[in-house]
Amino acid sequence: MLEVKGLSKRLPTGKTILNDISFRVDKGEFVALLGASGAGKSMTMRAIAGLTSVTAGEVVFSGESGKCYTTITASGKTSGKDLRRARRNIGVIFQGSNLVKRLPVLDNVMIGRLGRIHPLRSWLYGFTDQEASEAMAALERVGMAGFASRRTGSLSGGEVQRVAIARAIFQRPLLYLADEPVSSLDPKNAEAIMQLMQPLAREHPILGAFHQPGMVMHYCTRVIALHKGSIIYNGAPNLSAKQLDEIYCGQADRPEATQELTAAAES
Amino acid sequence: MSASLAVPSNVLPSVRFRRRMALLVVCCASVAAFLIYLKVDPIEFFRDFHFVSDLIKQMMPPDLRLLWVKHGLWTSLLQTVAMAFFGTLIGSIIAVILALFAAGNTSPSWALRLGVRTLLAVERSTPNIVVLLVLLIAVGIGPFAATLSLCIGTVGMFGKLFADAIEQVDPLPGEALIAAGASRLQVIRYATLPQVAPSVVANVFYAFDVNLRLAVALGIFGGGGIGFELHLAQSVLRYKDMLACVILILVLINVMERIADALRRRLFLQEV
Ligand SMILES: Nc1ncnc2c1ncn2[C@@H]1O[C@H](COP(=O)(O)OP(=O)(O)O)[C@@H](O)[C@H]1O
Ligand SMILES: [Mg+2]
Repeated sequence: MLEVKGLSKRLPTGKTILNDISFRVDKGEFVALLGASGAGKSMTMRAIAGLTSVTAGEVVFSGESGKCYTTITASGKTSGKDLRRARRNIGVIFQGSNLVKRLPVLDNVMIGRLGRIHPLRSWLYGFTDQEASEAMAALERVGMAGFASRRTGSLSGGEVQRVAIARAIFQRPLLYLADEPVSSLDPKNAEAIMQLMQPLAREHPILGAFHQPGMVMHYCTRVIALHKGSIIYNGAPNLSAKQLDEIYCGQADRPEATQELTAAAES
Repeated sequence: MSASLAVPSNVLPSVRFRRRMALLVVCCASVAAFLIYLKVDPIEFFRDFHFVSDLIKQMMPPDLRLLWVKHGLWTSLLQTVAMAFFGTLIGSIIAVILALFAAGNTSPSWALRLGVRTLLAVERSTPNIVVLLVLLIAVGIGPFAATLSLCIGTVGMFGKLFADAIEQVDPLPGEALIAAGASRLQVIRYATLPQVAPSVVANVFYAFDVNLRLAVALGIFGGGGIGFELHLAQSVLRYKDMLACVILILVLINVMERIADALRRRLFLQEV
Protein backbone atom coordinates (compact mmCIF):
# COMPACT_ATOMS: atom_id res chain seq x y z
CA MET A 1 0.00 0.00 0.00
CA LEU A 2 1.33 3.40 -1.01
CA GLU A 3 -0.19 6.67 0.09
CA VAL A 4 0.83 10.00 -1.41
CA LYS A 5 -0.63 13.06 0.31
CA GLY A 6 -0.56 16.64 -0.97
CA LEU A 7 2.71 16.39 -2.83
CA SER A 8 3.75 19.82 -4.16
CA LYS A 9 6.95 21.01 -5.71
CA ARG A 10 7.59 24.58 -6.67
CA LEU A 11 10.88 25.90 -7.98
CA PRO A 12 12.44 29.06 -6.51
CA THR A 13 11.57 30.66 -9.86
CA GLY A 14 7.88 30.22 -8.99
CA LYS A 15 7.28 27.44 -11.51
CA THR A 16 4.98 24.70 -10.23
CA ILE A 17 6.18 21.23 -11.10
CA LEU A 18 3.87 19.20 -8.83
CA ASN A 19 0.61 20.65 -7.57
CA ASP A 20 -1.04 18.97 -4.58
CA ILE A 21 -0.76 15.37 -5.80
CA SER A 22 -2.67 12.86 -3.67
CA PHE A 23 -3.43 9.24 -4.46
CA ARG A 24 -3.26 5.71 -3.12
CA VAL A 25 -1.95 2.50 -4.63
CA ASP A 26 -3.26 -0.67 -3.00
CA LYS A 27 -2.18 -4.29 -2.90
CA GLY A 28 -2.42 -6.04 -6.25
CA GLU A 29 -2.68 -2.86 -8.28
CA PHE A 30 -0.76 -2.00 -11.43
CA VAL A 31 -1.25 1.76 -11.73
CA ALA A 32 -0.25 3.72 -14.82
CA LEU A 33 0.73 7.38 -14.77
CA LEU A 34 -0.21 8.99 -18.06
CA GLY A 35 0.47 12.48 -19.30
CA ALA A 36 2.37 14.46 -21.89
CA SER A 37 6.13 14.83 -21.55
CA GLY A 38 6.89 17.36 -18.83
CA ALA A 39 3.59 16.66 -17.04
CA GLY A 40 5.50 15.59 -13.92
CA LYS A 41 5.40 11.78 -14.07
CA SER A 42 9.12 11.32 -13.45
CA MET A 43 9.11 14.00 -10.79
CA THR A 44 6.25 12.28 -8.95
CA MET A 45 8.16 9.02 -8.88
CA ARG A 46 11.43 10.67 -7.91
CA ALA A 47 9.62 12.35 -5.05
CA ILE A 48 8.14 9.03 -3.91
CA ALA A 49 11.64 7.50 -3.90
CA GLY A 50 12.92 10.49 -1.92
CA LEU A 51 15.25 11.48 -4.73
CA THR A 52 14.07 15.07 -4.98
CA SER A 53 13.05 17.67 -2.44
CA VAL A 54 9.44 18.82 -2.37
CA THR A 55 7.70 21.94 -1.08
CA ALA A 56 5.02 20.01 0.78
CA GLY A 57 3.54 16.55 1.08
CA GLU A 58 3.90 13.15 2.64
CA VAL A 59 4.69 9.71 1.26
CA VAL A 60 4.00 6.55 3.28
CA PHE A 61 4.04 2.93 2.21
CA SER A 62 3.80 -0.44 3.89
CA GLY A 63 3.75 -4.15 3.10
CA GLU A 64 2.03 -7.27 4.42
CA SER A 65 3.63 -6.90 7.84
CA GLY A 66 2.01 -3.48 8.25
CA LYS A 67 5.33 -1.81 9.04
CA CYS A 68 5.27 1.70 7.58
CA TYR A 69 8.07 3.44 5.72
CA THR A 70 8.20 7.10 4.78
CA THR A 71 10.38 8.82 2.23
CA ILE A 72 8.80 12.23 2.73
CA THR A 73 7.46 13.11 6.16
CA ALA A 74 4.89 15.80 6.83
CA SER A 75 7.46 17.70 8.89
CA GLY A 76 9.75 17.73 5.86
CA LYS A 77 12.57 16.00 7.70
CA THR A 78 13.69 12.49 6.93
CA SER A 79 16.93 11.22 8.41
CA GLY A 80 19.40 9.65 6.01
CA LYS A 81 19.04 6.35 7.81
CA ASP A 82 15.23 6.28 7.63
CA LEU A 83 15.37 7.27 3.99
CA ARG A 84 17.76 4.43 3.16
CA ARG A 85 15.60 1.99 5.13
CA ALA A 86 12.58 3.08 3.09
CA ARG A 87 14.40 3.06 -0.23
CA ARG A 88 15.58 -0.50 0.08
CA ASN A 89 11.91 -1.44 0.02
CA ILE A 90 11.21 0.38 -3.24
CA GLY A 91 12.25 -1.32 -6.48
CA VAL A 92 12.89 1.38 -9.04
CA ILE A 93 12.99 0.51 -12.73
CA PHE A 94 14.23 3.68 -14.40
CA GLN A 95 13.76 5.13 -17.85
CA GLY A 96 16.65 3.59 -19.83
CA SER A 97 17.36 1.40 -16.79
CA ASN A 98 20.60 2.96 -15.58
CA LEU A 99 22.54 -0.25 -15.22
CA VAL A 100 26.32 -0.14 -14.81
CA LYS A 101 27.35 -1.03 -18.36
CA ARG A 102 30.80 -2.30 -17.44
CA LEU A 103 29.63 -4.87 -14.90
CA PRO A 104 28.45 -8.37 -15.75
CA VAL A 105 24.68 -8.87 -15.88
CA LEU A 106 24.66 -10.91 -12.65
CA ASP A 107 26.46 -8.12 -10.72
CA ASN A 108 23.97 -5.60 -12.00
CA VAL A 109 21.18 -7.71 -10.52
CA MET A 110 22.98 -8.26 -7.21
CA ILE A 111 23.76 -4.58 -6.59
CA GLY A 112 20.02 -4.04 -6.26
CA ARG A 113 20.41 -5.37 -2.73
CA LEU A 114 23.32 -3.15 -1.65
CA GLY A 115 20.97 -1.33 0.70
CA ARG A 116 20.51 -4.52 2.70
CA ILE A 117 24.09 -5.70 3.05
CA HIS A 118 26.71 -4.38 5.42
CA PRO A 119 28.85 -1.63 3.85
CA LEU A 120 32.06 -3.30 5.02
CA ARG A 121 31.11 -6.58 3.39
CA SER A 122 30.13 -4.81 0.16
CA TRP A 123 33.64 -3.33 0.00
CA LEU A 124 35.78 -6.16 1.24
CA TYR A 125 34.04 -9.33 0.14
CA GLY A 126 31.17 -8.55 -2.20
CA PHE A 127 28.14 -10.79 -2.56
CA THR A 128 27.69 -14.34 -1.33
CA ASP A 129 27.18 -17.44 -3.46
CA GLN A 130 23.71 -17.70 -1.96
CA GLU A 131 22.89 -14.20 -3.21
CA ALA A 132 24.30 -15.07 -6.61
CA SER A 133 22.01 -18.06 -6.96
CA GLU A 134 19.02 -15.94 -5.87
CA ALA A 135 20.01 -13.40 -8.52
CA MET A 136 20.12 -16.23 -11.06
CA ALA A 137 16.57 -17.11 -10.07
CA ALA A 138 15.50 -13.51 -10.65
CA LEU A 139 17.19 -13.55 -14.07
CA GLU A 140 15.47 -16.85 -14.84
CA ARG A 141 12.13 -15.25 -14.08
CA VAL A 142 12.69 -12.56 -16.75
CA GLY A 143 14.17 -15.07 -19.22
CA MET A 144 17.74 -13.77 -18.96
CA ALA A 145 19.49 -16.59 -17.07
CA GLY A 146 21.64 -17.35 -20.11
CA PHE A 147 23.09 -13.84 -20.01
CA ALA A 148 24.41 -13.88 -16.42
CA SER A 149 28.09 -13.51 -17.29
CA ARG A 150 27.66 -11.15 -20.26
CA ARG A 151 28.88 -7.58 -19.97
CA THR A 152 25.78 -5.42 -19.54
CA GLY A 153 26.93 -2.84 -22.10
CA SER A 154 26.58 -5.43 -24.86
CA LEU A 155 22.85 -6.08 -24.32
CA SER A 156 19.97 -4.83 -26.46
CA GLY A 157 17.36 -2.41 -25.13
CA GLY A 158 14.80 -5.12 -24.36
CA GLU A 159 17.40 -7.27 -22.61
CA VAL A 160 18.60 -4.31 -20.52
CA GLN A 161 15.05 -3.63 -19.39
CA ARG A 162 14.60 -7.27 -18.36
CA VAL A 163 17.80 -7.14 -16.32
CA ALA A 164 16.54 -3.98 -14.64
CA ILE A 165 13.35 -5.82 -13.71
CA ALA A 166 15.37 -8.77 -12.42
CA ARG A 167 17.33 -6.34 -10.23
CA ALA A 168 14.11 -4.90 -8.81
CA ILE A 169 12.74 -8.42 -8.15
CA PHE A 170 15.99 -9.48 -6.46
CA GLN A 171 15.80 -6.40 -4.26
CA ARG A 172 12.59 -7.86 -2.69
CA PRO A 173 10.80 -4.51 -2.39
CA LEU A 174 7.28 -3.78 -1.13
CA LEU A 175 6.55 -1.50 -4.06
CA TYR A 176 7.78 -1.04 -7.62
CA LEU A 177 8.25 2.28 -9.41
CA ALA A 178 8.78 2.02 -13.17
CA ASP A 179 9.54 5.18 -15.16
CA GLU A 180 8.74 4.53 -18.83
CA PRO A 181 10.06 0.97 -18.77
CA VAL A 182 8.85 0.26 -22.30
CA SER A 183 9.25 3.64 -24.03
CA SER A 184 12.51 2.82 -25.78
CA LEU A 185 11.38 -0.64 -26.95
CA ASP A 186 9.81 -2.03 -30.11
CA PRO A 187 6.13 -3.08 -29.76
CA LYS A 188 6.89 -6.79 -29.38
CA ASN A 189 9.48 -6.27 -26.64
CA ALA A 190 7.25 -3.69 -24.96
CA GLU A 191 4.43 -6.24 -24.87
CA ALA A 192 6.79 -8.84 -23.39
CA ILE A 193 7.91 -6.46 -20.64
CA MET A 194 4.29 -5.65 -19.76
CA GLN A 195 3.59 -9.38 -19.55
CA LEU A 196 6.48 -9.72 -17.11
CA MET A 197 5.26 -6.85 -14.94
CA GLN A 198 1.62 -7.89 -14.73
CA PRO A 199 2.15 -10.92 -12.44
CA LEU A 200 4.76 -8.94 -10.49
CA ALA A 201 2.13 -6.35 -9.63
CA ARG A 202 -0.05 -9.02 -8.01
CA GLU A 203 2.75 -9.65 -5.51
CA HIS A 204 3.68 -6.04 -4.87
CA PRO A 205 1.96 -3.02 -6.41
CA ILE A 206 3.54 -1.23 -9.37
CA LEU A 207 3.30 2.47 -10.16
CA GLY A 208 4.58 3.10 -13.66
CA ALA A 209 4.74 5.90 -16.22
CA PHE A 210 3.71 4.99 -19.75
CA HIS A 211 3.08 6.57 -23.13
CA GLN A 212 1.14 3.61 -24.59
CA PRO A 213 -2.57 3.95 -23.70
CA GLY A 214 -3.41 0.76 -25.61
CA MET A 215 -1.09 -1.41 -23.55
CA VAL A 216 -2.05 0.42 -20.35
CA MET A 217 -5.72 -0.41 -20.94
CA HIS A 218 -4.83 -4.05 -21.41
CA TYR A 219 -2.41 -4.62 -18.54
CA CYS A 220 -2.99 -1.94 -15.89
CA THR A 221 -5.68 -1.87 -13.25
CA ARG A 222 -5.95 1.90 -12.96
CA VAL A 223 -4.85 5.13 -14.63
CA ILE A 224 -3.74 8.37 -13.01
CA ALA A 225 -3.37 11.18 -15.54
CA LEU A 226 -1.20 14.21 -14.90
CA HIS A 227 -1.28 17.56 -16.62
CA LYS A 228 1.18 20.31 -15.75
CA GLY A 229 1.80 18.82 -12.34
CA SER A 230 -1.85 18.22 -11.36
CA ILE A 231 -3.90 15.03 -11.34
CA ILE A 232 -6.69 15.38 -13.88
CA TYR A 233 -7.92 11.80 -13.89
CA ASN A 234 -7.78 8.92 -11.47
CA GLY A 235 -9.84 5.90 -12.43
CA ALA A 236 -10.46 2.95 -14.68
CA PRO A 237 -7.82 2.25 -17.35
CA ASN A 238 -10.23 1.95 -20.27
CA LEU A 239 -10.20 5.53 -21.52
CA SER A 240 -12.19 6.73 -24.51
CA ALA A 241 -10.56 8.50 -27.43
CA LYS A 242 -12.07 11.75 -26.20
CA GLN A 243 -10.61 11.29 -22.73
CA LEU A 244 -7.17 10.56 -24.17
CA ASP A 245 -7.52 13.72 -26.22
CA GLU A 246 -8.24 15.67 -23.06
CA ILE A 247 -5.19 14.20 -21.34
CA TYR A 248 -2.72 14.74 -24.15
CA CYS A 249 -3.96 17.76 -26.08
CA GLY A 250 -3.77 20.50 -23.52
CA GLN A 251 -7.55 20.99 -23.34
CA ALA A 252 -7.30 19.99 -19.71
CA ASP A 253 -6.38 23.55 -18.81
CA ARG A 254 -10.09 24.32 -18.79
CA PRO A 255 -11.52 23.61 -15.34
CA GLU A 256 -14.65 22.03 -16.85
CA ALA A 257 -12.48 19.51 -18.72
CA THR A 258 -10.99 18.26 -15.46
CA GLN A 259 -14.50 18.05 -14.02
CA GLU A 260 -15.68 16.03 -17.03
CA LEU A 261 -12.77 13.65 -16.66
CA THR A 262 -13.27 13.29 -12.93
CA ALA A 263 -16.97 12.67 -13.43
CA ALA A 264 -16.14 10.00 -15.99
CA ALA A 265 -13.74 8.41 -13.53
CA GLU A 266 -16.36 8.27 -10.82
CA SER A 267 -19.10 6.80 -13.00
CA MET B 1 24.07 30.26 -61.63
CA SER B 2 26.83 32.43 -63.14
CA ALA B 3 26.68 35.05 -60.40
CA SER B 4 28.28 32.83 -57.80
CA LEU B 5 27.63 33.38 -54.12
CA ALA B 6 30.40 35.27 -52.31
CA VAL B 7 32.47 32.95 -50.12
CA PRO B 8 32.87 34.45 -46.62
CA SER B 9 36.38 35.92 -46.52
CA ASN B 10 37.43 34.00 -43.42
CA VAL B 11 37.02 30.66 -45.20
CA LEU B 12 38.22 31.77 -48.66
CA PRO B 13 41.10 29.41 -49.60
CA SER B 14 43.46 32.12 -50.90
CA VAL B 15 42.95 34.24 -47.79
CA ARG B 16 43.57 31.21 -45.59
CA PHE B 17 46.75 30.38 -47.51
CA ARG B 18 48.10 33.90 -47.02
CA ARG B 19 47.27 33.72 -43.34
CA ARG B 20 49.16 30.41 -42.99
CA MET B 21 52.18 31.88 -44.74
CA ALA B 22 52.19 34.94 -42.48
CA LEU B 23 52.09 32.64 -39.45
CA LEU B 24 55.04 30.65 -40.80
CA VAL B 25 57.11 33.83 -41.32
CA VAL B 26 56.34 35.00 -37.79
CA CYS B 27 57.39 31.61 -36.37
CA CYS B 28 60.67 31.53 -38.29
CA ALA B 29 61.46 35.11 -37.31
CA SER B 30 60.88 34.43 -33.62
CA VAL B 31 63.05 31.30 -33.70
CA ALA B 32 65.84 33.32 -35.36
CA ALA B 33 65.43 36.09 -32.79
CA PHE B 34 65.74 33.59 -29.94
CA LEU B 35 68.86 31.99 -31.43
CA ILE B 36 70.51 35.39 -31.70
CA TYR B 37 69.42 36.37 -28.20
CA LEU B 38 70.78 33.12 -26.72
CA LYS B 39 73.99 33.57 -28.77
CA VAL B 40 73.64 30.17 -30.40
CA ASP B 41 76.18 30.02 -33.21
CA PRO B 42 75.37 27.26 -35.72
CA ILE B 43 78.93 27.36 -37.07
CA GLU B 44 80.38 26.77 -33.62
CA PHE B 45 78.00 23.85 -33.26
CA PHE B 46 79.52 22.13 -36.28
CA ARG B 47 83.08 23.10 -35.31
CA ASP B 48 82.69 21.54 -31.86
CA PHE B 49 81.02 18.44 -33.18
CA HIS B 50 84.31 16.55 -33.12
CA PHE B 51 84.06 16.44 -29.30
CA VAL B 52 80.99 14.30 -29.67
CA SER B 53 82.51 12.06 -32.31
CA ASP B 54 85.66 11.66 -30.19
CA LEU B 55 83.55 10.56 -27.24
CA ILE B 56 81.67 8.05 -29.36
CA LYS B 57 85.02 6.66 -30.58
CA GLN B 58 86.14 6.26 -26.96
CA MET B 59 82.93 4.44 -26.13
CA MET B 60 83.43 1.89 -28.87
CA PRO B 61 83.29 -1.03 -28.50
CA PRO B 62 80.95 -1.29 -25.50
CA ASP B 63 82.39 -3.43 -22.74
CA LEU B 64 79.66 -6.06 -22.70
CA ARG B 65 81.81 -8.41 -20.61
CA LEU B 66 80.49 -6.34 -17.72
CA LEU B 67 77.16 -8.17 -17.99
CA TRP B 68 78.58 -11.41 -16.63
CA VAL B 69 81.63 -10.08 -14.80
CA LYS B 70 79.81 -7.47 -12.79
CA HIS B 71 76.76 -9.06 -11.15
CA GLY B 72 75.88 -5.83 -9.39
CA LEU B 73 74.73 -4.47 -12.73
CA TRP B 74 71.80 -6.88 -12.85
CA THR B 75 70.84 -6.01 -9.31
CA SER B 76 70.91 -2.34 -10.25
CA LEU B 77 68.73 -3.04 -13.26
CA LEU B 78 66.22 -4.88 -11.10
CA GLN B 79 66.35 -1.99 -8.64
CA THR B 80 65.39 0.47 -11.37
CA VAL B 81 62.43 -1.69 -12.44
CA ALA B 82 61.34 -2.05 -8.80
CA MET B 83 61.54 1.73 -8.32
CA ALA B 84 59.32 2.33 -11.34
CA PHE B 85 56.93 -0.47 -10.39
CA PHE B 86 56.36 0.50 -6.77
CA GLY B 87 56.38 4.21 -7.58
CA THR B 88 53.62 3.61 -10.12
CA LEU B 89 51.61 1.18 -8.00
CA ILE B 90 51.60 3.15 -4.77
CA GLY B 91 51.33 6.48 -6.59
CA SER B 92 48.30 5.29 -8.59
CA ILE B 93 46.50 3.98 -5.52
CA ILE B 94 47.03 7.29 -3.73
CA ALA B 95 46.02 9.15 -6.90
CA VAL B 96 42.70 7.26 -7.09
CA ILE B 97 41.94 7.88 -3.43
CA LEU B 98 42.78 11.59 -3.67
CA ALA B 99 40.81 11.82 -6.93
CA LEU B 100 37.70 10.58 -5.11
CA PHE B 101 38.14 13.49 -2.69
CA ALA B 102 38.85 15.93 -5.52
CA ALA B 103 35.91 15.01 -7.78
CA GLY B 104 32.74 17.03 -7.27
CA ASN B 105 30.43 14.00 -7.45
CA THR B 106 32.25 11.84 -4.89
CA SER B 107 33.87 14.35 -2.53
CA PRO B 108 32.32 14.50 0.94
CA SER B 109 32.80 18.27 1.23
CA TRP B 110 33.71 21.16 -1.03
CA ALA B 111 36.41 22.40 1.36
CA LEU B 112 38.17 19.04 1.24
CA ARG B 113 37.77 19.05 -2.51
CA LEU B 114 39.43 22.45 -2.82
CA GLY B 115 42.25 21.40 -0.49
CA VAL B 116 43.01 18.20 -2.40
CA ARG B 117 42.82 19.99 -5.75
CA THR B 118 45.35 22.55 -4.53
CA LEU B 119 47.65 19.83 -3.21
CA LEU B 120 47.50 18.04 -6.57
CA ALA B 121 48.22 21.27 -8.44
CA VAL B 122 51.31 21.88 -6.31
CA GLU B 123 52.52 18.31 -6.80
CA ARG B 124 51.95 18.52 -10.50
CA SER B 125 53.98 21.67 -10.89
CA THR B 126 56.99 20.37 -8.94
CA PRO B 127 59.59 18.64 -11.18
CA ASN B 128 60.60 15.11 -10.10
CA ILE B 129 64.25 16.08 -9.80
CA VAL B 130 63.41 18.85 -7.33
CA VAL B 131 61.35 16.43 -5.23
CA LEU B 132 64.22 13.93 -5.33
CA LEU B 133 66.85 16.47 -4.27
CA VAL B 134 64.71 17.44 -1.28
CA LEU B 135 64.08 13.79 -0.40
CA LEU B 136 67.79 12.96 -0.69
CA ILE B 137 68.36 15.32 2.22
CA ALA B 138 65.53 13.75 4.21
CA VAL B 139 65.98 10.02 3.58
CA GLY B 140 69.45 9.81 2.07
CA ILE B 141 70.83 8.56 -1.25
CA GLY B 142 69.27 5.43 -2.68
CA PRO B 143 66.25 3.86 -4.35
CA PHE B 144 63.88 4.70 -1.50
CA ALA B 145 64.15 8.43 -2.19
CA ALA B 146 63.68 7.85 -5.91
CA THR B 147 60.64 5.60 -5.40
CA LEU B 148 59.06 8.18 -3.12
CA SER B 149 59.75 10.89 -5.65
CA LEU B 150 58.16 8.80 -8.43
CA CYS B 151 55.16 8.21 -6.16
CA ILE B 152 54.67 11.91 -5.61
CA GLY B 153 55.13 12.60 -9.31
CA THR B 154 52.55 9.93 -10.24
CA VAL B 155 50.01 11.34 -7.81
CA GLY B 156 50.52 14.81 -9.28
CA MET B 157 50.39 13.54 -12.84
CA PHE B 158 47.23 11.44 -12.47
CA GLY B 159 45.34 12.71 -9.44
CA LYS B 160 43.68 15.50 -11.38
CA LEU B 161 43.25 13.32 -14.47
CA PHE B 162 41.44 10.64 -12.45
CA ALA B 163 39.35 13.28 -10.69
CA ASP B 164 38.21 14.64 -14.03
CA ALA B 165 37.45 11.10 -15.26
CA ILE B 166 35.36 10.49 -12.13
CA GLU B 167 33.43 13.72 -12.68
CA GLN B 168 32.55 12.62 -16.20
CA VAL B 169 31.04 9.31 -15.09
CA ASP B 170 27.38 8.77 -15.98
CA PRO B 171 25.52 9.68 -12.75
CA LEU B 172 22.36 7.70 -13.52
CA PRO B 173 23.56 4.17 -12.60
CA GLY B 174 24.69 5.55 -9.24
CA GLU B 175 21.38 7.29 -8.70
CA ALA B 176 19.61 3.99 -9.37
CA LEU B 177 21.64 2.44 -6.53
CA ILE B 178 20.82 5.36 -4.22
CA ALA B 179 17.17 4.75 -5.05
CA ALA B 180 17.61 1.14 -3.93
CA GLY B 181 18.98 2.28 -0.56
CA ALA B 182 22.72 2.06 -1.23
CA SER B 183 25.14 4.37 0.60
CA ARG B 184 27.48 6.82 -1.11
CA LEU B 185 30.47 4.55 -0.50
CA GLN B 186 28.62 1.63 -2.04
CA VAL B 187 27.79 3.76 -5.06
CA ILE B 188 31.50 4.57 -5.45
CA ARG B 189 32.40 0.89 -5.22
CA TYR B 190 29.74 -0.49 -7.55
CA ALA B 191 28.89 2.32 -9.99
CA THR B 192 31.66 4.93 -10.06
CA LEU B 193 34.83 2.82 -9.91
CA PRO B 194 33.71 0.23 -12.49
CA GLN B 195 33.03 3.08 -14.90
CA VAL B 196 36.43 4.76 -14.48
CA ALA B 197 38.41 1.50 -14.28
CA PRO B 198 39.39 1.30 -17.97
CA SER B 199 40.73 4.84 -18.08
CA VAL B 200 42.57 4.33 -14.78
CA VAL B 201 44.17 1.08 -15.98
CA ALA B 202 45.24 2.60 -19.30
CA ASN B 203 46.80 5.56 -17.48
CA VAL B 204 48.57 3.34 -14.94
CA PHE B 205 50.29 1.55 -17.82
CA TYR B 206 51.28 4.90 -19.26
CA ALA B 207 52.55 6.03 -15.85
CA PHE B 208 54.77 2.95 -15.59
CA ASP B 209 56.21 3.74 -18.99
CA VAL B 210 57.04 7.30 -17.97
CA ASN B 211 58.28 6.26 -14.52
CA LEU B 212 60.70 3.65 -15.88
CA ARG B 213 62.50 6.33 -17.88
CA LEU B 214 62.36 8.72 -14.94
CA ALA B 215 63.75 6.00 -12.64
CA VAL B 216 66.85 5.81 -14.82
CA ALA B 217 67.24 9.59 -14.81
CA LEU B 218 66.63 9.93 -11.06
CA GLY B 219 69.26 7.22 -10.49
CA ILE B 220 71.86 9.51 -12.01
CA PHE B 221 71.06 12.12 -9.37
CA GLY B 222 71.54 9.72 -6.49
CA GLY B 223 68.43 7.57 -6.70
CA GLY B 224 70.33 4.30 -7.17
CA GLY B 225 69.71 1.61 -9.76
CA ILE B 226 71.13 1.41 -13.25
CA GLY B 227 71.15 5.20 -13.58
CA PHE B 228 73.61 5.41 -10.71
CA GLU B 229 75.88 2.78 -12.37
CA LEU B 230 75.83 4.96 -15.47
CA HIS B 231 76.79 7.96 -13.41
CA LEU B 232 79.64 6.06 -11.71
CA ALA B 233 81.06 4.83 -15.01
CA GLN B 234 80.94 8.36 -16.36
CA SER B 235 82.64 9.92 -13.35
CA VAL B 236 85.62 7.53 -13.60
CA LEU B 237 85.77 8.07 -17.38
CA ARG B 238 85.04 4.41 -18.24
CA TYR B 239 83.17 5.22 -21.41
CA LYS B 240 83.07 1.62 -22.65
CA ASP B 241 81.27 0.62 -19.43
CA MET B 242 78.93 3.56 -19.94
CA LEU B 243 77.86 2.40 -23.38
CA ALA B 244 77.25 -1.09 -21.99
CA CYS B 245 74.90 0.48 -19.41
CA VAL B 246 73.14 2.52 -22.08
CA ILE B 247 72.56 -0.61 -24.17
CA LEU B 248 71.24 -2.43 -21.12
CA ILE B 249 68.82 0.45 -20.43
CA LEU B 250 67.56 0.46 -24.01
CA VAL B 251 66.96 -3.29 -23.91
CA LEU B 252 65.24 -2.99 -20.53
CA ILE B 253 62.86 -0.25 -21.66
CA ASN B 254 61.96 -2.18 -24.79
CA VAL B 255 61.38 -5.46 -22.96
CA MET B 256 59.21 -3.77 -20.30
CA GLU B 257 57.21 -2.06 -23.02
CA ARG B 258 56.54 -5.42 -24.68
CA ILE B 259 55.46 -6.99 -21.40
CA ALA B 260 53.17 -4.05 -20.62
CA ASP B 261 51.64 -4.22 -24.09
CA ALA B 262 50.97 -7.95 -23.78
CA LEU B 263 49.40 -7.47 -20.34
CA ARG B 264 47.27 -4.59 -21.54
CA ARG B 265 46.04 -6.55 -24.52
CA ARG B 266 45.02 -9.44 -22.28
CA LEU B 267 43.24 -7.15 -19.84
CA PHE B 268 41.23 -5.39 -22.49
CA LEU B 269 40.36 -8.53 -24.39
CA GLN B 270 38.98 -10.23 -21.31
CA GLU B 271 36.26 -7.77 -20.62
CA VAL B 272 34.31 -8.20 -23.87
N1 LIG C 1 16.07 19.69 -12.34
C1 LIG C 1 15.03 20.40 -12.79
N2 LIG C 1 15.00 21.74 -12.68
C2 LIG C 1 13.97 22.44 -13.13
N3 LIG C 1 12.90 21.92 -13.71
C3 LIG C 1 12.86 20.60 -13.87
C4 LIG C 1 13.92 19.75 -13.42
N4 LIG C 1 13.61 18.49 -13.71
C5 LIG C 1 12.42 18.52 -14.32
N5 LIG C 1 11.95 19.78 -14.40
C6 LIG C 1 10.67 20.19 -14.96
O1 LIG C 1 9.66 19.50 -14.27
C7 LIG C 1 8.59 19.22 -15.14
C8 LIG C 1 8.20 17.77 -15.02
O2 LIG C 1 9.21 16.96 -15.55
P1 LIG C 1 9.12 15.38 -15.58
O3 LIG C 1 8.63 14.90 -14.28
O4 LIG C 1 10.44 14.87 -16.03
O5 LIG C 1 8.04 15.11 -16.71
P2 LIG C 1 7.57 13.73 -17.36
O6 LIG C 1 8.34 12.63 -16.72
O7 LIG C 1 6.12 13.66 -17.10
O8 LIG C 1 7.86 13.83 -18.80
C9 LIG C 1 9.04 19.63 -16.53
O9 LIG C 1 8.41 20.85 -16.84
C10 LIG C 1 10.52 19.81 -16.40
O10 LIG C 1 10.96 20.83 -17.25
MG1 LIG D 1 9.77 11.36 -17.55
